[in-house]
Amino acid sequence: MHEHSLIANLLSRIDAVAREHSATRVVGVSVWIGALAHISASHFREHFEDGSRGSLAQGARLDIEVSDDPEHPQAQDILLRSVEVG
Amino acid sequence: MTETTRTIEVNQLARVEGEGALHLAIDGGQLTAAQLRIFEPPRYFEALLRGRDCREAPDITARICGICPVAYLMSSCAAIEDLCGLSVPAPIADLRRLLYCGEWIESHVLHMFMLHLPDFLGYPDAVSMAREHGDLVRTALRIKKAGNGIVALLGGREIHPINVRIGGFYRLPTRAELAPLRDELAWALDAAEQALLPLAALDFPDFERAYTFVALRHDSEYPMGRGRLVSSDGIDLPVASYDDYLTEHHVRHSTSLHSRTAAGGVVHLGPLARYALNHDRLTPRARAAAQAAGLPPVVRNPFRSILVRGVEVVLALEEALRLIDGYVPGDTPAVAFEPRAGTGYGATEAPRGVLYHRYTVGEDGLITDAKIVAPTSVNQAVIEADLRHYVEPNLHRPDAELRAVCETAIRNYDPCISCSAHFLKLTVERR
Ligand SMILES: [Zn+2]
Repeated sequence: MHEHSLIANLLSRIDAVAREHSATRVVGVSVWIGALAHISASHFREHFEDGSRGSLAQGARLDIEVSDDPEHPQAQDILLRSVEVG
Repeated sequence: MTETTRTIEVNQLARVEGEGALHLAIDGGQLTAAQLRIFEPPRYFEALLRGRDCREAPDITARICGICPVAYLMSSCAAIEDLCGLSVPAPIADLRRLLYCGEWIESHVLHMFMLHLPDFLGYPDAVSMAREHGDLVRTALRIKKAGNGIVALLGGREIHPINVRIGGFYRLPTRAELAPLRDELAWALDAAEQALLPLAALDFPDFERAYTFVALRHDSEYPMGRGRLVSSDGIDLPVASYDDYLTEHHVRHSTSLHSRTAAGGVVHLGPLARYALNHDRLTPRARAAAQAAGLPPVVRNPFRSILVRGVEVVLALEEALRLIDGYVPGDTPAVAFEPRAGTGYGATEAPRGVLYHRYTVGEDGLITDAKIVAPTSVNQAVIEADLRHYVEPNLHRPDAELRAVCETAIRNYDPCISCSAHFLKLTVERR
């Protein structure tokens, strides 16, 4: 049940980045998912597409890298890597 | 038109926020209140479902939880099929059970090894545990992946958004498509049996409570997708009578509702309940695994739920292999039906316990009312009661330690509300 809150947090960060750079739209978003983050790339994508509707990130390309290293210091985390703005 | 875009490096953590909060009130060294507040999407989805075609219910509700989407699919299918007087043929029922096995494996392994075990071994989270127990974590991830293979194939996320529909599936897998899952599941079954032994030797808190267990029970199988609603108090009801047995009440401290029996009783859903009420339905290797782990037929220590989940992983793997070996595709992927007006009831055993759906549909096939009761919200009262008993001897400890104690007790029930390490917003009022 945590996806809604996770995606909302991610979108507010994306929004902040876009506004900071006076961007009018978000073209691409790149995220990294740790091996122990408990969410699959496809599930993440679905929630992102749902959640981004009506936001600056609606329709943005989503690049997802999924790590398979459980010993990575951030293996439980999801990182917003970069935001491509236009 | 010239396209100019810039890529901005961010590298920030995306966080889960506002999921759970616990308020403890301590007065003169006595715990006077333990109130857990959980964020509860089902309420939001109930509103969203109104006015939608009843055939959309499975796909919509599957989005409620990323850890147990299959449970939502299955409960909503069961409810709409009940409404339409539909019963699915054996090959479809078998495939659904196989799909459910996949989810139990994934969800239980995640819960056991990534969320629960670090508490017992004294690590703040799975990442620090993985540094010293890399092999164990890799084994667990591989078992989990075997379950994931089932869900990926039958759920068909890559092929179709979701392959399950009212009356069956969009597309049935061939025997040849299922066969490659077999080797990995057989490996996982051995690995799960082995992995359970060191867990049985963990140092469990000496803590037992007299729970009222509630679970499904079926004539011939350990319950997943069907059965009657039974309890350790002796109730035995069709799922359609769920609302007569458990009713929801608003409580002031939480946005979610509390479920109580008509007599005001608190019930316990989940692996301990399923196991206690269906011990005679365990598969042979699951029964042996329970015995090897030193589990009696009824387990009342919630911390030992890690072992009962392990027994259910063995059961799910054994069942998955049986279902794959016996699979003969039917002639049709789904039973045809026409929506009709009425109310339908469905309950299945999500990894964390009974998940109940009720839909009322109008003549036009549109949903006029939906009720979804997630096991977490039913268990909220029992979690609070556990917390009161478990936290009491620890009240003198500093808040940070107290929070760790509380999180451990909550993790006996649910990773959905305790997924991130240290997310719990704890407020302590000391007087
Ligand atoms: Zn869930």
